[in-house]
Amino acid sequence: MSTGTKQVKSCPIPTRVLTLKDWSQLPDCYSQTPGGTLFSTTPGGTRIIYDRKFLLDCRNSPLARTPPCCLPQIPGVTVPATHAHHTGKLQDLKEEAEEEEKDIGDDSQFEMDI
Amino acid sequence: MNNKFDALKDDDSGDHEQDQGSPKDSEKEKPEEDDKEQNIIKKKKYKKTTDPDGPGEHPLQYNYTFWYSRRTPGRPASTQSYEQNIKQIGSFASVEQFWRFYSHMIRPGDLTGHSDFHLFKEGIKPMWEDDANKMGGKWIIRLRKGLASRCWENLILAMLGEQFMVGEEICGAVVSVRFQEDIISIWNKTASDQATTARIRDTLRRVLNLPPNTIMEYKTHTDSIKAWEDFHGLVNASGGR
Repeated sequence: MSTGTKQVKSCPIPTRVLTLKDWSQLPDCYSQTPGGTLFSTTPGGTRIIYDRKFLLDCRNSPLARTPPCCLPQIPGVTVPATHAHHTGKLQDLKEEAEEEEKDIGDDSQFEMDI
Repeated sequence: MNNKFDALKDDDSGDHEQDQGSPKDSEKEKPEEDDKEQNIIKKKKYKKTTDPDGPGEHPLQYNYTFWYSRRTPGRPASTQSYEQNIKQIGSFASVEQFWRFYSHMIRPGDLTGHSDFHLFKEGIKPMWEDDANKMGGKWIIRLRKGLASRCWENLILAMLGEQFMVGEEICGAVVSVRFQEDIISIWNKTASDQATTARIRDTLRRVLNLPPNTIMEYKTHTDSIKAWEDFHGLVNASGGR
């Protein structure tokens, strides 16, 4: 297989040697891939890919729980409906909100924070 | 396609502890006050597009916008009134910002009347006429009542997480609540690109966990426009069908 190939000059992987007197001197980047491991590389370039489980896990972070700053008030969509014939729905929303307050730890798929 | 990570890099430059980190690196417990302060500062600046609010947030490949529309039954539809009936709910650039909106919106299964949620890339209107959609089409899946909330959630998580692997082709997703059924759909830019539409279909099967025998149908937007015009007794500009 290699009969026709040219000899290529080999080059060692650049390394740096540190002598540590203590574990606390270990640099922050030790054992990490340079550039971080956030992004998956796919043919054609780097894309930011998240699987379903990871996205659902992010839901519980404090950053994800505060209400967005300029949520429009749409009855029946972003706020409980107040129209007369929607009172049934309003009752359901209230009951749901009470239930969900009890299960804050539950990461069921249908949890909705009001 | 500009890399959203570059936007984050600038924000993080002052913080030596920030490790530009991995998704597994879940949550640094940032005190809530810092976030609120950052949010307030960000909001005062004029920004053309949304950015992740700060360190600890996970950027998305694209920014997205949520829209809501509802048609009053009995009112005649027209493309102009469609544009008026559709309302932006908000835009986001990170996973955490997405959850902030999504957690404060009702589930599609609980919507009343003839209503739709649309989740489209920022800059693309959820309308056939938008440049990104003109040559495009959509996969539609009709669901019996009771499935829309779960399927919509799985669909948008797959879209936001870049599970479709079709480059720039995805435009957005829609969930439509109708009288006796619900419909979810995913829109792409090039209806004639069969490799793309096939890959989208396969991803839908994988991520949605649909009941057996669920039918998926691909419709080009131009066909949908023709069907709509026929239904409303209109003719196109050339005077023919």
